[in-house]
Parts: sequence; C-alpha cells; structure tokens
Amino acid sequence: MSTVAAPGTAFERADALPGDVRAPLRDLILVLADSKRLLGIRYSDWMLGAPSLEAGISASSMAQDEWGHGRLTYALLGEFGDEPKALEHEREASEYRNPEALDRPVRSWSELVALALLVDTALAVQYEALVDSRYTPVRNRVQKLLDEEAFHFQYAAGWARGLGKSAQVRGELRDAVASLLPQTLRWFGRAEAAERLVQEGIVRARPDALRERFLSCIGPVLQDAGLAGELGVGERDGRWSWSGEIGWEGWDDTTRRAGGSGPDEETIARVRGDKNRALLMD
Amino acid sequence: MKEPVYEVFARKTREEPLRHIGYVNAMDGDLARVYAWKTYDEQNWFEMCVVPRAQILPVNRHESSFLPAPPADEAVVHSRAVASYGGSEMAGGGVR
Repeated sequence: MSTVAAPGTAFERADALPGDVRAPLRDLILVLADSKRLLGIRYSDWMLGAPSLEAGISASSMAQDEWGHGRLTYALLGEFGDEPKALEHEREASEYRNPEALDRPVRSWSELVALALLVDTALAVQYEALVDSRYTPVRNRVQKLLDEEAFHFQYAAGWARGLGKSAQVRGELRDAVASLLPQTLRWFGRAEAAERLVQEGIVRARPDALRERFLSCIGPVLQDAGLAGELGVGERDGRWSWSGEIGWEGWDDTTRRAGGSGPDEETIARVRGDKNRALLMD
Repeated sequence: MKEPVYEVFARKTREEPLRHIGYVNAMDGDLARVYAWKTYDEQNWFEMCVVPRAQILPVNRHESSFLPAPPADEAVVHSRAVASYGGSEMAGGGVR
C-alpha cells in the first residue's frame, strides 16, 4: 500500500482535531464499528452450520473477535460527543452504516467464505491505514485487532482455495465473489471524501491505494482458487487491479452505502440486543 | 472433501518445551493454523505450531498414537488429545 506521510505531532484527543476533520473521522469510526458488529452477526450465523466442527468453532471465535472490535471501535466515539451505549442499542436499522452485503444472512457456505474474504479483508485494510494514525486513541487500538484479523484472512483464504478446487461448489463461490467484489471495492469510498483525513495523517492511505492493497490481498487467493481471470482480477508488474468499473450512483460518502434501508428486522433486533433490553447494564 | 489431520503443539512460556495438546482436521496448513489457534484457545500461548500427522515418522513404536489417521467418524476435536494443556498434571490425567 502506498502510504502517505504527514508531518506534525499526534492528536491526543478529538477536540484537538481540526474542525473539518472531526466529522469525517467520526463518520469513518461509526462505519467501521457498525461493520464489525454486523460482520460478527454473520459469522455467528454459521457457528452451528459450518462444514466441520473446527470451521464452526473458528466462526464462533471470529464472531467474538468482531464483536470485540466493534465494542472497541464504538468506544472511540465517546470522544466525539456520542454515547457509545446508545449507538449500540438504540438506533433504527436505517441509521446503520455497515456494508449492504451484511444487511441480511448469507444463504450458503460459499457466500460466507466470499463475505469473509472480501468484506472482512476490506475492513482490515481500512483499519491497517490507521495503524500509524496521528489520532492517538485510534492508533493505540488497531494493532491488536489486526493481529486477530490475520487469522480471519487465513481462514477465508484457506476456504476459498479449498472451494475453488471443488467442481461442485466452485461456481457458487465465483458467483458470490462476483456479486460482492464491485461493492466492496466501492466501499473504500471516493478520494475527495477521504482527502482531509489523509492530509492530516489520520488515515495513511487514499481510497485508491486501499483498493489496490485490498486486491493484492485477495488477488493471489482468487488466483489459487482458479477464479481471478473470470472475475477480472489480475496482476501486472506486482500491482493488482480489477478490470471493472465502480458505479457511484446513490453513493453516500458518510455512510459508505448506496441505498437500501439497512439490516433486516431480525438482524437489527439481534444487533441491538432487543430480547434482553430490560437487562441492559449501565 | 478430505481433510488431513494436523497435530497441535504449544507452550505457555519461552522456557517450556512444546507439548502436544491435540489435533485438528483441516484442508490445508493455513486452515490448520486458524483452527488450532481458535480451538485450543484456553491459554495465552507463547507459541503454537501445527504439524501434518502424515509427516510424523514413528521411530520405535508402530502403534504410535499419531498413526494411523483416525477414520472420519472418529475425527472429533479433543477426542484423542490431552484434554487440556498440562494433560496428566490435571486431575484425571487427561486422555492419552
């Protein structure tokens, strides 16, 4: 990833940030927190339906990781005047900022593998651009999260390679990846929306660099699975690219979504903990 | 899909030797690493390694617990492992 160096001292607190940086940083943190929370739900959907006991145990553990990452990321928003608990438990579905792919349960194991390979990796790549952030509260929390994400990637990559070798499910995986790839590349957003965060050294890479970094992670896996060519993903002189075009119609820079009304009712009830609302602790 | 067996070894501190703590079934080494880390997560391991069971060469005993690979219906995590880190040091001695 080509990272952007920015001089200057660290920002220890949100109120030390330049005024025009606070809002886009809050937007980014909320997008990441909601995405982690929803991704955890999707892993948890497969705790008991995975193809093997080990795969289910790992899905369960990854669900816990994602919820932990979500909790840690929501907590960062306290600095921005938000009440993290209200963000976690009191919002409507339409207020969630997770990628559309997480709005409803996936229908097959192949779709879960595609989700893990694309969406989980995209999130990790975006967090990776915060490892050296000048915003200290973020920087302090990211490395441990990324250490855990290394296992998530191995999981997704191992399964994608395995499914790619199976004549029976290879097509299913290809279709699932084909459906997610354009929207996941779009999810990194537009250059202009991220520019101030990059200029101030809060985020260390521009969206195009993140897209390339993301493709350099998943590209070799898709190649091993025999799917890269069919999906328009290729490598030249060490740089990975996608031959398609990203459509920005309906795109909202703040929510990183292009429409839809948010997670479905059942999902949102689980995300908010509606069943046990009376037991919520202060 | 056929899944080979990977034996799992770990230690809690740098000073300790690696010990056999169990096994996982996995399609490849990458998945074996993840499965081992996520399955045997009861300790804060200093180091964990996985070894394909097929790569273990018995030296003096041909009925070694590492050979042969168990039939598919026996391939359940923990079933032939030492139950938990410490194995025989625990009450009951674990399953050897």
